[in-house]
Amino acid sequence: MNKFMEMLENVLLPIADKLNNNRYLTALRDGFMVALPLIIFGSIFVVIANLPFLDRVISEDAFAAYQSALGPASAATLSIMGMFVIIGIGYKLTEHYENEAIYGGVVALTAFLILTPQVLEGLTGVIPTVSLGAQGMFLGIFTAFIAAELYNFFVRTDWTIKMPAGVPQAVSRSFSALIPITLTLSVFLIIRIIFSYTGFDTVQNFIYTIIQQPLTQLGSGLPATIVAVLLIQVFWFFGLHGQIIVNSVFDPIWYTLNEQNLSAFQAGTELPNIVTKQFIDSFIVGMGGSGMTLAVIILIFIIGRSRQMKELGKLGAPAGIFNVNEPIIFGLPIIMNPLIIIPWLLAPVVVTIITYFAMATGLVPPPAGVIVPWTTPVVLNGFLATGNAWQGGLLQAVNLVVVMMIWWPFLKIMDKSYYEKEKAAKKS
Amino acid sequence: MKHILLACSAGMSTSLLVSKMKEVAEEKGIDVKIWAVAQDKVTKDIEQADVLLIGPQMRFLKKKLAKLADEVNVHLDVIDPTAYGRIDGEAVLNRALELMEEAN
Repeated sequence: MNKFMEMLENVLLPIADKLNNNRYLTALRDGFMVALPLIIFGSIFVVIANLPFLDRVISEDAFAAYQSALGPASAATLSIMGMFVIIGIGYKLTEHYENEAIYGGVVALTAFLILTPQVLEGLTGVIPTVSLGAQGMFLGIFTAFIAAELYNFFVRTDWTIKMPAGVPQAVSRSFSALIPITLTLSVFLIIRIIFSYTGFDTVQNFIYTIIQQPLTQLGSGLPATIVAVLLIQVFWFFGLHGQIIVNSVFDPIWYTLNEQNLSAFQAGTELPNIVTKQFIDSFIVGMGGSGMTLAVIILIFIIGRSRQMKELGKLGAPAGIFNVNEPIIFGLPIIMNPLIIIPWLLAPVVVTIITYFAMATGLVPPPAGVIVPWTTPVVLNGFLATGNAWQGGLLQAVNLVVVMMIWWPFLKIMDKSYYEKEKAAKKS
Repeated sequence: MKHILLACSAGMSTSLLVSKMKEVAEEKGIDVKIWAVAQDKVTKDIEQADVLLIGPQMRFLKKKLAKLADEVNVHLDVIDPTAYGRIDGEAVLNRALELMEEAN
């Protein structure tokens, strides 16, 4: 058993290393980090704009006025989050190359705007916000990668305009960003022109149909979600931060799905997706941390007899409420513990399936597209994620009980063995 | 004064450890500054540190950070998983002090 585990760890560690240290995935993760405070700002006001029962307390007109007054908060952040991710990626990638990062950020954004259709239903002189949000997410990410790479390449080649002697140095330096930016953006302008002669019309359309739609469709399904959830659990089992590792691949898909739900939620139409960023963050991770360990802590308080378990429960509970669970993962321990592997892998999959079908059948509304900070405690978390629906909170409570039931026999065995060891130690 | 920097994914779980380590340091009268950051802030904060300890769940960062730590002459180690789980401030503080001793 030990040999086998060692072998698996030898496979997983390099994968984690590669995924986390790949400069594109790092820039992508950091790009989302740049957008996160803005997204949360927008989310707060979506939540406030949709306070439960408010539409029944005040008149319909007053409610509409109230909602439209708060609208810009999310329209300027959540709905166009792709834009901030793009700036973040361009910035971070350029920072990685140790060039002037802010230029990398704006070059990425401008390149993306060049590729964006600047017409909406015949009206020119506009940039449709939908292209800056969900629909343009994948194009934005690719554009940011390529634009930043090109920019940094042109900076490295160091083509400068030779100024005659006597021209102040500051003048020639002012051209230093000009040439790389001009060359980079020209490339994107050419790409745009070429695409206008194809059947896809715009690059946005091309990336959306060829890459984004198939990928998000796959990612919104139950099988892919179960695979992602299992991967998170397996990485954690070996004591590696599974969430960070898996997110770096799945985030573009989950955020895109999230955006689609948000626009539907705000338009008052049917929410298209069940699996979104918040599906994972609230219903899978937001129950005490990866592996839903808050259930384990509660269970320890109910059935724990050994001193070791009780101590651990006390140690892990305060952090666990806010979804920080390293004390449990390393303290129980969960890592490399063969006794734990069944509930550890099984419980999140069962919860994923329950949550998916609870939402698919309409018992619980799907996530509304708001982003809830991951440290928000369970139940409140589910309530906010589903657009202030009590069913979301209740579902989390039910799921918590399900996880406890799955863990019960295994934790009981562990506790008993600790208890007996403690008793034996006392006697001798 | 000695500077000990801890890092994990968001700087959350290591900050639990930081408060425990500070308690122990105060009891023993050791003059140290201990703080925790998220992994992407390490590059910035490492210059003020004498020792960098990373959470075991982020140990895949060791290779990348080792290079950085080498450049600025900072000692680096991954925190022992058992001590991490117990939030054992004393054990981790001792290890950090040990790392600095070794170098001298």
